[in-house]
Amino acid sequence: MLVFILGPILWMLDSSFQGETELLTRPSHLLPQQPTIANFNYIFTGAVPQGLNVRGTLRSRISQEAREVPAALENSAIIALTVALVNVALGALAAYTFARLKFRGKSLVFNFLLGTRLLPAIAVAIPYYAIVSALGLLDSYLGLILVYLTFSLPFTIWFLRDYIISLPIDIEEAAQIDGCSRLQLLLRIVLPLAAPGLAAAGAFAFMSSYNEFLFALLLTQTISSQTLPVILSSVATNPDASLALIATSVVLAMVPPLLFAIAFQRFLTRGLVAALGKG
Amino acid sequence: MAGRESGYAYLTLLPVLLIMAAFSLYPIGYALYLSLHREVLTDPLNNPYVGFQNFSNALHSYYLTSSLVSTAAFMAMAVPSVMIFGLLAALLLNEAFAGARILRVAILLPWAMPAVVSGIVWRWMLNGDYGILNSALFQLGIIHDYIPWLSQPALARVGLAVAHVWREGPLAAIFFLAGLQTISPDLYSAAAVDGAGRVAAFRRITMPLLRPTIVIVLIYETIVAATTFDLVYVMTGGGPADATSLISWYAYAEVFKFLDLGTGAALAFLIALVLLAVIILYLRVLRSEERR
Repeated sequence: MLVFILGPILWMLDSSFQGETELLTRPSHLLPQQPTIANFNYIFTGAVPQGLNVRGTLRSRISQEAREVPAALENSAIIALTVALVNVALGALAAYTFARLKFRGKSLVFNFLLGTRLLPAIAVAIPYYAIVSALGLLDSYLGLILVYLTFSLPFTIWFLRDYIISLPIDIEEAAQIDGCSRLQLLLRIVLPLAAPGLAAAGAFAFMSSYNEFLFALLLTQTISSQTLPVILSSVATNPDASLALIATSVVLAMVPPLLFAIAFQRFLTRGLVAALGKG
Repeated sequence: MAGRESGYAYLTLLPVLLIMAAFSLYPIGYALYLSLHREVLTDPLNNPYVGFQNFSNALHSYYLTSSLVSTAAFMAMAVPSVMIFGLLAALLLNEAFAGARILRVAILLPWAMPAVVSGIVWRWMLNGDYGILNSALFQLGIIHDYIPWLSQPALARVGLAVAHVWREGPLAAIFFLAGLQTISPDLYSAAAVDGAGRVAAFRRITMPLLRPTIVIVLIYETIVAATTFDLVYVMTGGGPADATSLISWYAYAEVFKFLDLGTGAALAFLIALVLLAVIILYLRVLRSEERR
């Protein structure tokens, strides 16, 4: 089972250290015989890997798109981090209100928020494009950030609301008697207690934004906002692309989510299980 | 006091509500408008009201039938495999053994990376000329010629399903594991005292108690498989010969390749309705399972 799960990842890592000529041999080399960092070097500095230089016919197999991986990595990271932060900030504000306050229209508003997630992505693709275009936000960070917020906010609010409800209310009541306002209660008492929940919700929003592909494809046009999945897909679907460079791009793309998954393993597992219960 | 409280409540919900309303009510209205008008981007100025013409076009399209067949074939392979893989992996993870901790982290990894990445990884592994799978099978003497996995319709579907299982199976395992961990170990020790073997314990204790989880994961994975898009985009582009042109891919192609927004929107509505029906079923099951 470990082989099935980790094998593909390790083979990709392995491939990224092989030269193009070595990858194009039969049978494949299980371990690189001449390990090289030339592929990584090309992506970051533009120095053409030797394997591609030596054999003139392979010259065309250089994927220019691969050089855009670092910029795309930056775009993805900025967008996903912003979404995660704004998500947790707005989400916690709303979740606390849903968890502790009584007001008219509460269940209506809550059900509306959850209901918006019932729309399948492909069904709202054209209207989303129309909105983002009308706002003049095509090919911008803000456009994608807004869209990803709408995808992740309902889950964050629902998740944090349940989290806050599960916290003991005594301290809040005591503080309220001492004259704390709602906002003070939230900032000083609830948020520190809910920190693990905030981390889980933030990690979730980060991962889902980092991984999203369809809307990133539709709403971006140039490398000034294209995210990693978009650049990767264009590297990989170019029939002339260098396999070594594809492998290297993929390895680079894997790094952030893998680090995230390992660091947040507990939170993510708990969040996933909770998410399934919500549907 | 109450008045000030609800003032605070509305104020804190306002930003979220504004964003969500803009990105849900407007899209539904706009999609409805599109689906009832002729909207072809190659002929932008000619968009009369056409009633349900777009819906009828979408329903009678040859491509719809063919994509439904592809989707069904894909789901028939992918969903049971995901379930079986997930269940086996969860049973394994639930045992206390040396590697369990590593496996519990490792199992998150395929899910954690973009679907585009898993598509590329498997495309490379299944590469007909230089892929590691062919190389391994050849050297083991199992095959005598390299097989072009992704260039033959039937094999391409299998390849797509394998990549899908790699991504979704571990996720299902995490869900099943959570379900398994709610089962009290006392039940198993009691069964052991009564002389029940492991198989009997699995059939009489594990399966009935895991049933709610199984039903929920099954419906969830059905929805995920039915809407697979990213994998198709990078692995096969819907080919060969439309064998992997799943329904979401077809809806995408209708809009962004044929540039027919009207029919695309109508098709999107139809897909949304079917999915909505499944989701409502899902919520009902969820509620009735919670009551049990």
